[in-house]
Amino acid sequence: MKKIFTTLCLVIILTILTACGNESGGGGDDQYVIRIAWWGSQMRHDATIEVIELFMEQNPDIYIEYEFFDPDGYWTAMNTRVASDDVWDVFQMGGNFQQYIDNILDITPFIEDGTIDVSRTDESFLNTTYFEGKMVGISNGVNSNGIAFDPALFEEAGAPLLHADWTWDDFANSAMIIHENLGIYGSSALSDFIALTILVTQSGANFFDPATNSTTLGFDDPSILVPYFEMRRDLVQAGAFPDAGRLATITDIEGDLLVTGDAAMTWVASNQFITVANAAGRPLELVPLPRLTAGGESGMGLTSSQMLSISNASPYPEAAARFINFFQNDEEANRILAGERGVPIMSHIREMLSENADENLATVYAFVGLAGELDTGLGNPLESPNNPEIRDHFEFLLEQVIFGQIEAEAAAEDLRDFAEDVLARN
Amino acid sequence: MAAKIEVEKKSFSLKDFIQKENTVGYVFAAPFIIGFLAFTLIPMILSLYYSFTDFNLRGGDWIGLENYVRLFNDDRFINSVLVTLRFVFVSVPLRLAFGLLVAYLLTRKAKGVSFYRALYYLPTLIGGSIAVAIVWRELFSINGAVNVMLEGLGAAPVNWFGDPRMAMWPLILMSIWQFGSSMIIFAAGLKEIPAELYEAAEMDGANKLKSFFKITLPCLSPVILYNLIMQMISAFMTFTQAFVITGGGPMDSTNFYALYVYRHAFDFFNMGYASAMSWVMLVIISIFTVIVLKTSKYWVHQN
Repeated sequence: MKKIFTTLCLVIILTILTACGNESGGGGDDQYVIRIAWWGSQMRHDATIEVIELFMEQNPDIYIEYEFFDPDGYWTAMNTRVASDDVWDVFQMGGNFQQYIDNILDITPFIEDGTIDVSRTDESFLNTTYFEGKMVGISNGVNSNGIAFDPALFEEAGAPLLHADWTWDDFANSAMIIHENLGIYGSSALSDFIALTILVTQSGANFFDPATNSTTLGFDDPSILVPYFEMRRDLVQAGAFPDAGRLATITDIEGDLLVTGDAAMTWVASNQFITVANAAGRPLELVPLPRLTAGGESGMGLTSSQMLSISNASPYPEAAARFINFFQNDEEANRILAGERGVPIMSHIREMLSENADENLATVYAFVGLAGELDTGLGNPLESPNNPEIRDHFEFLLEQVIFGQIEAEAAAEDLRDFAEDVLARN
Repeated sequence: MAAKIEVEKKSFSLKDFIQKENTVGYVFAAPFIIGFLAFTLIPMILSLYYSFTDFNLRGGDWIGLENYVRLFNDDRFINSVLVTLRFVFVSVPLRLAFGLLVAYLLTRKAKGVSFYRALYYLPTLIGGSIAVAIVWRELFSINGAVNVMLEGLGAAPVNWFGDPRMAMWPLILMSIWQFGSSMIIFAAGLKEIPAELYEAAEMDGANKLKSFFKITLPCLSPVILYNLIMQMISAFMTFTQAFVITGGGPMDSTNFYALYVYRHAFDFFNMGYASAMSWVMLVIISIFTVIVLKTSKYWVHQN
């Protein structure tokens, strides 16, 4: 009886398991089936699916199964797949690739044999995805962070217009002038943790040490963090910067306070500028991030917004490489993608896109060019694998400072100790 | 003896096997058994094991009690326990009181009572969903409908999600609003109370209020106990509202236990630490359940 029962259970379990495993329904016997995943917005999902369909049409020997996610869901899915050793053949990767380095295939052979054509880009772009002798992927586009602002609101408030070489003091002053004269917020949300790490670079150090691939801290003196805590506290308390309740109403970049006219500045990654400017429907401008001192280190640099990598467990790496080549070099594909992932690294794609570029795209191109010039190589583009936990703790401390629960100095020290602990534990 | 077994083996047939009562029972129970093993028992055992490791989905080493030691030095963890307790102690009594009140009102024999009962049950059906949580977030946002109404009444708008002292109230209100399931159980309990008791009380000159406290509450106390325990456990595990509406903020004022577990498990991938937290939560919930059960003999009347 027992034996029969066990057998019965097994049969049921096996039926369920095989039912789950039978996903590759679309591929024929003579086709390579590769799986692809990415994260992004609806706009990106639609465009990427269209490109995948175009690729399959032109390459009938390859069948692509795709999955797409919002950014949070993507990393949960990614980690689950890493744990079960079942990573997608081609996947989007960001600045945190170090965490997944054991799953990423070195694509140098495909570049050498010409499967992936990199003849129309240059070293500096390729270097954004080069790590310890390994080509970990090909960048889908480069971007840099900046501040978008509405010049009309600045003029109305009588605030001096922003320019490329400005300081955090200028930022705070502009915000105050705008708030006092127009009654709106000076600035919408900042990407606080990135801003903080760039401030550390501007102070001559790095938040994470590039020499250890961001596995240790790159600074020792917490006092260089203090100005940021103080500036944010003062601006919120003066009403020139949205408080937690107001920030909670911003759920997407299209609903940013700059877009709605409730603020005169906002933080953007350069590829987001087009979305913000289109949503606002008013002329906006884009400047680099403020510096600690005028003419000092800007901390700016070009980063790969994200890249496509190949899994080292992929059974068909060559098919995967062919897709990446198509994604990077095909003009029709990139007309569909429209540079939404960042400024493309291939010169002919950039030229093609700028031919019918509107004003906003031209602004982004000029900005990325400027960011490249400002890059002194001092900044550390590598994310720590423990970024999310440290960022979360920083945001918690920042709120405590803003609500007057702790002093900025105490928060700075707490953050350094916390980050040290987290990095030491992993 | 051996020969007999031989005979039994030979006489085995599939037909007999299928028609055996036990087989039928096991087959019908199989979906639950498989589900229980795959999604409850095995994950529980694994999480107990992980709680002694620094498992992060990509591997981990045995670190003994380190996670548990770290928990009690983690101020944000202690805060999340306190925040959750505060939520449980405020929202559960209010929700039960509200459920009982509505159930009491709906016991009178009037037209359309069952329609109203269904209507009041609706929030419970849809209440746990993301969609309702998003609606709630919009209602209480700084320029949301609630503040517009407050301003219309001449009151100052409240910065619900920007003020650590206020942020929990929308969540508590939402929890009270979902009184439906306790209401249904209360309504069933109220029907069981013999009408003679009320008639006798009325003859003795007791007013409505008095008969509520002297008859309804004591007769209903076993049902209250059941509802109290069930609602308390579910309040301890509140997640969706905090995750969607406040994200735990501002300043961790709504950083509920379950949310903090989720953060560590799926944002920071500290699976071992999150597992340890879950087991501490199990202990906390058990302690409170035992307290309620132990004290129940003082206030629950068995007939």
